[in-house]
Amino acid sequence: MSRAILLVLALGQMLVSLAGAADVRLSGAGATFPAPLYTRWVAEYEKTHPDVKIDYRSIGSGGGVKALIDKTVAFGATDAPLTEKEIAAMGGTDAVVQFPATLGAVVPAYNLPGVSKPLNFTGAVLADIYLGRISTWDDAQIKQLNPDVNLPKTPITPVFRTDGSGTTHVFTSYLATQSPEFKGEVGLGKQVKWPLGQGGKGNEGVAAAIQQTAGAIGYIEHNYAVANKIAYGAVKNKAGKFVLASTQSVSAAGDASSDGMKGTVLRADAWNAAGDESYPISAFTYIVLYKQLDNIKSANEATALLGYLRWTLGPGQKFAPEMDYAPLSEKVRAAANAAISASTHQGKAIPANP
Amino acid sequence: MTTGSATTVMPPTSGTSRGSKGSGASSVQGGWRLGDAVLGLACRGSAALLALMLIALIGVLLHSAWPAIKQFGPGFLVSSEWRANEIERPLRDAAGAVVIRDGEVVTETLAPAFGALPVIWGTAVSSLIALVVAVPISLGAAIFLVRVAPKLRIAGAASFLIEFLAAVPSLAFGVWALFVLAPFFQEHIGPWLLRTFGEVHALRWMFYEKVTVAGRTIERPIALTGRDLLSGSLILAIMILPIITSVSRDVLRTVPRAQIEGTLALGATWWQSCMAMLRYGRSGLLGAIMLGLARAAGETMAVTMVIGNNNQISPSPFAPAQTMASVLANEFGEATEGLHRAALLYIALILLAMSLVFNVIARRLVVGRAARSPGS
Repeated sequence: MSRAILLVLALGQMLVSLAGAADVRLSGAGATFPAPLYTRWVAEYEKTHPDVKIDYRSIGSGGGVKALIDKTVAFGATDAPLTEKEIAAMGGTDAVVQFPATLGAVVPAYNLPGVSKPLNFTGAVLADIYLGRISTWDDAQIKQLNPDVNLPKTPITPVFRTDGSGTTHVFTSYLATQSPEFKGEVGLGKQVKWPLGQGGKGNEGVAAAIQQTAGAIGYIEHNYAVANKIAYGAVKNKAGKFVLASTQSVSAAGDASSDGMKGTVLRADAWNAAGDESYPISAFTYIVLYKQLDNIKSANEATALLGYLRWTLGPGQKFAPEMDYAPLSEKVRAAANAAISASTHQGKAIPANP
Repeated sequence: MTTGSATTVMPPTSGTSRGSKGSGASSVQGGWRLGDAVLGLACRGSAALLALMLIALIGVLLHSAWPAIKQFGPGFLVSSEWRANEIERPLRDAAGAVVIRDGEVVTETLAPAFGALPVIWGTAVSSLIALVVAVPISLGAAIFLVRVAPKLRIAGAASFLIEFLAAVPSLAFGVWALFVLAPFFQEHIGPWLLRTFGEVHALRWMFYEKVTVAGRTIERPIALTGRDLLSGSLILAIMILPIITSVSRDVLRTVPRAQIEGTLALGATWWQSCMAMLRYGRSGLLGAIMLGLARAAGETMAVTMVIGNNNQISPSPFAPAQTMASVLANEFGEATEGLHRAALLYIALILLAMSLVFNVIARRLVVGRAARSPGS
């Protein structure tokens, strides 16, 4: 049955190409964190735009930026905003368009049998756990945040990512704002030197270590924790409220931190954002392209690319919460659309999608 | 049994084929000459290609590791700092106070640093523990295969089973270790060890770790998770058993019968004659152990899954560690920054050099043994 449908589809596609329909192929590469959403976007977009084919390869943020610098893709995707060096390699700020596509969050996930209510954490306590200062779950500092939870004497096993990742970047960047000691000793980055604990490769490696070890705590992406039903705690935000990660609380953090988004290279650190509702370990993930889309062959393709990107910022956003990503606020979307519209192809403005 | 009979059949078959080739040569000599030439060239080419691949591999590794070799030199081998990120922090003077100049805190920036000592330590210790566990079992199994199994008529089946163990993908061992060995250790062995030895002062180094942050050292209990140096070593031990056993078996088979019967005639017990046998084959057995060591040092996936993956040097077998192979598996994919990538390739180069040395020594020992006993 399904084979017959495939055959019909294939025949249909052949007929379309025989009829000479303007088939546009666009390629993008980069971050793995938003890849499930990007794949969904492509599938949804191709349903309504059968003449456009988009291919997104999740090869990691670094690889995506490199591919864009090498001009082998139409757009790149990265969790960390472009560094000054990368912008220079692309030809300077005036040559680059960078805008947020969606938001994600990093959650402190743990394995504590018998504790069912989400625990409360602060950035300082998380930093002390990862610095080895807090070594058991019944430590006074954790008790103070969770007065009505019966915490066991189990030793804490911190778990970290061994591969370079945006998740580590976001988590360490947030902890660095909360603990000067963490900032000076461990620092922040895609990969850091942890003073103690266990390493796991990828979200799945960290999740496996957490799930197998009573007393383990680790940082993983919010949507991964939800999909795999791993318990995670609330974190105290800048306004002093304990907030659990959710698409709403992460969107709120994005909105609260977006004031500085101007021009074509948009970036904002969404961690430690102001506002009662904001989840504090949130981050934007970005799509990057050239302002002068001369790496793209035809004006037709450039138009299609912009059409697709505008769609992701418009109707596409409603797919984000379905997949546990946080949609961008109205304000951020306006800034992103303005940035995209600055693009040109062979010196000419690119018309809005027909 | 089956493998034994197959090997005895082989020589006559190859003999007849050589014979038929010889008789055919007289009738269609020119054709054979051409075929010989083509085949000869193809064989030489294949052999040359293999050698070239090794040389090219070393060349590529050297080239890509060059930035790290230039920056760190041989000091790379003894430095224990492995940090891919830059750290910006307030500058402190000798007394530990923050330096303030013109009313502003002076900051210092620590550049990324790479040193291979923790992974060399992890590789060396895990390989050694693996050998300590695997060698006695392997030698015992080899003696059994050579001296006991033939009498019981199960030599073929036993050899087959042991060699089959070598064909199990390493991932299968890793999954078993992660989902069976580690939880078992965590739930049963770990708590028992803690109850029994946890308070023994002389064993404190095993159960407590020292964490130094900002000049302050804290002693804290190590969580016995079952994903640690010991688990990694045990998995390695299982994985190197087949190779050590099968090479040892071949070495012991070359011990002349007269030698064994001589010891028995002199009144040696069965045990003593076995020891004499091991002594006779010692250089070949050492070679077998070296081959096992080479395999242990390079083993990746299974170890990565259970060793805990922390680039640290801890005396405790219950602390997470990292090997040269596992750091590559963990970090290479996302190491886009130049020096980090070069440092990882520097480790790959050291690993390659190490296995080359082990293998060369092992071959010399094993082959040397065989050459000295032409009678067998």
